[in-house]
Amino acid sequence: MMAGKVAVVAGFGDVGKGSADSLRNAGCRVMVTEVDPICALQAAMEGFEVVTMEEAAPQGDIFVTATGNKDVLTVDHMRAMKDRAIVSNIGHFDSEIQIGGLANMKWSEVKPQVDEVEFPDGKKLIVLSKGRLVNLGNATGHPSFVMSASFTNQVLAQIELWNNTGQYKNEVYVLPKHLDEKVAALHLAKVGAQLTRLSKEQADYIGVPVEGPFKPDHYRY
Amino acid sequence: MTANGKDYVIKDIDLAGWGHKEIEIAETEMPGLMALREEFGKEQPLKGARVAGSLHMTIQTAVLIQTLEALGADVRWASCNIFSTHDHAAAAIADTGTPDVAVKGETLEEYWDYAARIFEWGDGGTPNMILDDGGDATVLVHLGLRAVDDPTLLDNPENEEEVAFFAMLKKKVAEKPEWFAELAKNIKGVTEETTTGVHRLYEMQKKGTLLFPAINVTDSVT
Repeated sequence: MMAGKVAVVAGFGDVGKGSADSLRNAGCRVMVTEVDPICALQAAMEGFEVVTMEEAAPQGDIFVTATGNKDVLTVDHMRAMKDRAIVSNIGHFDSEIQIGGLANMKWSEVKPQVDEVEFPDGKKLIVLSKGRLVNLGNATGHPSFVMSASFTNQVLAQIELWNNTGQYKNEVYVLPKHLDEKVAALHLAKVGAQLTRLSKEQADYIGVPVEGPFKPDHYRY
Repeated sequence: MTANGKDYVIKDIDLAGWGHKEIEIAETEMPGLMALREEFGKEQPLKGARVAGSLHMTIQTAVLIQTLEALGADVRWASCNIFSTHDHAAAAIADTGTPDVAVKGETLEEYWDYAARIFEWGDGGTPNMILDDGGDATVLVHLGLRAVDDPTLLDNPENEEEVAFFAMLKKKVAEKPEWFAELAKNIKGVTEETTTGVHRLYEMQKKGTLLFPAINVTDSVT
């Protein structure tokens, strides 16, 4: 059961924000660790307790790393954890938890992608997916609807690069905003959302075309 | 082609029926992809594109694959994580005749073997596009090409992932050193799904080593 447990989320970027919200919705008391003062402030203002991992390690029941960095949960952190704390990572690579440092501990598989790791003092941790991304390792990943938005961008990006290769240098580009708005628009009807339309006068008042794009490129949603 | 004469490696082809059913349900939850099929199905804007895909072989990805195909693309696919495959989705894709190599719980050695296979077209050719998640497919081409000139780059793997990755590259460099240059020449671009992969792309851009254009999909708001 997650309700009432202390969950610790390392990183409060896009992935950490979602993880912290999910854990809170499941009834956990959520702590967040951050290196970036902006994200730390966002977490604090959302009502999450912002702490260091040294502080959080002995308190947490569930750990989730979401930083994209390495060595975020160290062997020392794991030594300090409670018996049967659950350790997991939701970042892309398995570099966030020092799994290699646990190689000499006693591992026993509970079921595929769930292992118990016993420390010399007899304490056991439950390690999910050997530190690889937990949402796909131990569950089935994002819902179809969420992936549809992202994958629609993928297809538009493939069409663009395949047909207009010559217009691009060997650099990294993002899709233009009108395509972002198109992808969002394609997903409104399914969730019963009805879009309001700007009048010409209103569009002129804020200086955008009636059909969009509605925000400048530097706007943060 | 694998030893069993099939152009796929999956857990169990008998899971295909379950996969097809879930794909059909997922289609109703993926309006953006279905709208693109409607909009571009006739025009076939991906005709001629040979897309090497490295992205979790799930039910959702199956709908993506079938959308790329509906727009004219020819596709080969692997998962970008050893634990992320939905085996029934992989079976359904193989069942439609699209080559995929993905098994939930595959080893790291298998993972990198599969990663290379998405670049080996059935007719002996290469892909001309990459659809990537995390950058492994893109890095495979970049590091492989550099290792042809400087094999010492593969001498010091720092973790078990790199042990398997570098061993695969060494084998390919020895077997067919010209292959990486051919890949680099033929690939017109990559579209990248996630923050980690985009980070790797920007690092390559900064060093001036990126071999083809890239579109960062993760930083679209949608």
